[in-house]
Amino acid sequence: MTATQSPPPTPAPTPQPESAAGAAKPHVAPGPPPGHVHPLIVSLPYSIHERADKATADPQLQFFVTRATYYKDQTRKKVFAEVYGERYDQMRELAGNIKQHTLDYLDHYLGEWIDNAEANGVKVHYARDSAEANSICLEIAKANNCKLCVKAKSMVTEETHLLPELEAMGCETVETDLGEFILQIDHDAPSHIVTPMIHKDRVASAKALTAALGVPYNDEPEVIARVARDHLRGKYRKADLGISGGNFLVANTGSVVICTNEGNGRFCTSAPRIHVAFVGIEKVIPGPEHLSVMLKMLARSSTGQPLTVYTHTMTGPKRAHEHDGPEEMHVILIDNGRTEILRKETREMLRCIRCGACLNACPVYRKIGGHAYGAVYSGPIGALITPLFKGLANYKDLPQASSLCGACYEACPVKINIPKYLIQLRTDMVGGKITGLPDRIFYRVWAASLKHSLTYRLGGWAQTTFFRLQAKLSGTLAKGEKYSARGWLKDAPGPVKGWTSQRDMPTPPAASFRNWWDKEHVRSVNPKAAEALKASGAGEAKPAARQH
Amino acid sequence: MNPTAHTSTSAPRTTREQFFARIRTALEHDRTIAPSEPAPVVSDALARTTRATDDLTQRFCEKATAVGMKVRQIVAGDLTRTIGTLLEEIKAKRVVVSVGTVPQAVGLKDSIRRKGIEVVDWAATPGLESQYDTDAGITDVHAAIAESGTMVCCSDAGHSRGLSLVPPVHIAVVRKADILPDLIDWWNKMKAVPPTQWPSSIALITGPSKTADIEGVLVTGVHGPGTVHILVVTDV
Repeated sequence: MTATQSPPPTPAPTPQPESAAGAAKPHVAPGPPPGHVHPLIVSLPYSIHERADKATADPQLQFFVTRATYYKDQTRKKVFAEVYGERYDQMRELAGNIKQHTLDYLDHYLGEWIDNAEANGVKVHYARDSAEANSICLEIAKANNCKLCVKAKSMVTEETHLLPELEAMGCETVETDLGEFILQIDHDAPSHIVTPMIHKDRVASAKALTAALGVPYNDEPEVIARVARDHLRGKYRKADLGISGGNFLVANTGSVVICTNEGNGRFCTSAPRIHVAFVGIEKVIPGPEHLSVMLKMLARSSTGQPLTVYTHTMTGPKRAHEHDGPEEMHVILIDNGRTEILRKETREMLRCIRCGACLNACPVYRKIGGHAYGAVYSGPIGALITPLFKGLANYKDLPQASSLCGACYEACPVKINIPKYLIQLRTDMVGGKITGLPDRIFYRVWAASLKHSLTYRLGGWAQTTFFRLQAKLSGTLAKGEKYSARGWLKDAPGPVKGWTSQRDMPTPPAASFRNWWDKEHVRSVNPKAAEALKASGAGEAKPAARQH
Repeated sequence: MNPTAHTSTSAPRTTREQFFARIRTALEHDRTIAPSEPAPVVSDALARTTRATDDLTQRFCEKATAVGMKVRQIVAGDLTRTIGTLLEEIKAKRVVVSVGTVPQAVGLKDSIRRKGIEVVDWAATPGLESQYDTDAGITDVHAAIAESGTMVCCSDAGHSRGLSLVPPVHIAVVRKADILPDLIDWWNKMKAVPPTQWPSSIALITGPSKTADIEGVLVTGVHGPGTVHILVVTDV
């Protein structure tokens, strides 16, 4: 790609210079190109395969996502080792306990937060679902005749899909986080909780700026950032509505806390006359001392910073003696399926503070990227909560999109046992007959065969014979050869096709380990003991290892 | 979509009571009860990383430098002169100032004006508007935190939210006495103030405005100041 781009194919909208500030032109939202597919709006039931295959075949995506996540994961480990050393695990325990305790008494703490926030002059609203949350926000915008909205990063507004609704009512809405801004003008969507544009490169970013703002093409990150800064400053100066999310609600002070690095969060919550925060009910924590713990864990888990550059604690709108700040501060508390997850069996999942550490640690996320999860929340935590938000039958691939290696659990600053719950969801899928009949029959037969020595041996024999035959047919195992180091089982037919198309398996040896042991070792060392062992049947103990 | 579709008041809004009923159902609570066990205790031995006995000035300077801020240690007598030099270096023409809590900075504004630099009266205009076309914001801080190299900037009658945010360069004056050991100490200090008297905005600032959104390349100054100078006054 060269720096001298030919003019973009779509006609560039007229750039809006500062001098045009007074010109009251009705805002027309630039629409996406025809045939555009929004990455986070998918048809249900969702199948992961198409996007996962596409992602694994995309070397650039692999490179960017792997590099960024690997680096962040390493940084997280390094800084926690430096700061907390052996106390790291206890800190995770404490942070997890704080969230769990608050969730166990969520009615109490949320009530306390609301009373304190109202005493500080905050207007609190209650949204049962996405539609109600958006409609409350539109009403606030309408009542205040808002024409231009600047928006900070918020995953909840991705959940409710707020932006098109504000635009449709005639309130121009601009994402101000650099990554989100570029995604917005490029009609794309975030693929990582913390670094939304992880899947996109500088060329695509620069092209998007050229197309949307009519600026000359330049793909230096510094230049892209400066162009966006200048453009968005013009927006802050004119905006009458600011929208943010919320990282924490502090119950006994009524505060909302947001953690950002760029400063757009402070602008969006300070410059416009009206501030509206979209916050999930699970964000509440008891007091400021708990905020200390959560803040100490959040940024370090996320990017390895001691704190995000700006940790902004907002306690009510502008006070009478203060010089600036919003005249009105609204908080929309959002349920949108959270009370379903709040039941005892799944409550722990709501501890999540959206740090993204589990995404960074996950070998599956690194291969398939965020959009393959087909929902707002991706990675291990997304695989867990998306099926609960949207229905297990709608997202039955997600609980399977994990190797259960446990890296997510080790990385989680609030100790959510993600692998445990993924297994639980898989169990629920089999129990709820969401898993297909052939699979269910297979699991039944497998489980039954493991319970009895005869069927276990029979199964083992059948498996060995089948795979050896397959290896012989494909020529990787020579006739009479017991085991071949060069022999890998590839592209087997039938029920193992899916398995072997993605990974190779060594050819099984002619005899199992136990047969070999009995024959070569035990008898020769102590024939009597071997006899006794055989008579007692102890030699038939089930192996702990999986069959393949 | 028809813009008027949103104007009609549709279904009645969920009330606080209805909202809480769903939460209580999930929790299996008949009514909202006070927790039967206290909230987890934040043990100092576990959570604290920095103690009052540590060399706080040194730790603060180290950590603030590590996150990309430019730190100098000076004595009070050099304050005005150092700020003047910094402003000359960045060729400032217009600045905004709020250093009311630092007695050693008396006369700062006059000395800046004597250099031919305009000191904009931000307080005369509501909101942040007067600050957009300035070259530097010069502020004191409400506290500093050694643990992370953080500065605490609150909004109040004498402090705009914008001075540490809007201008491209932020020059902050941190007195040795402002430096607290740990984040825990700042929130403990705030616990003494009733929440209804808290500032509407408390900004903990840990570095210049940053992004790594484009290919992970670090860029500073994306929305807030790209350069933050901290002058640590070691004798007050």
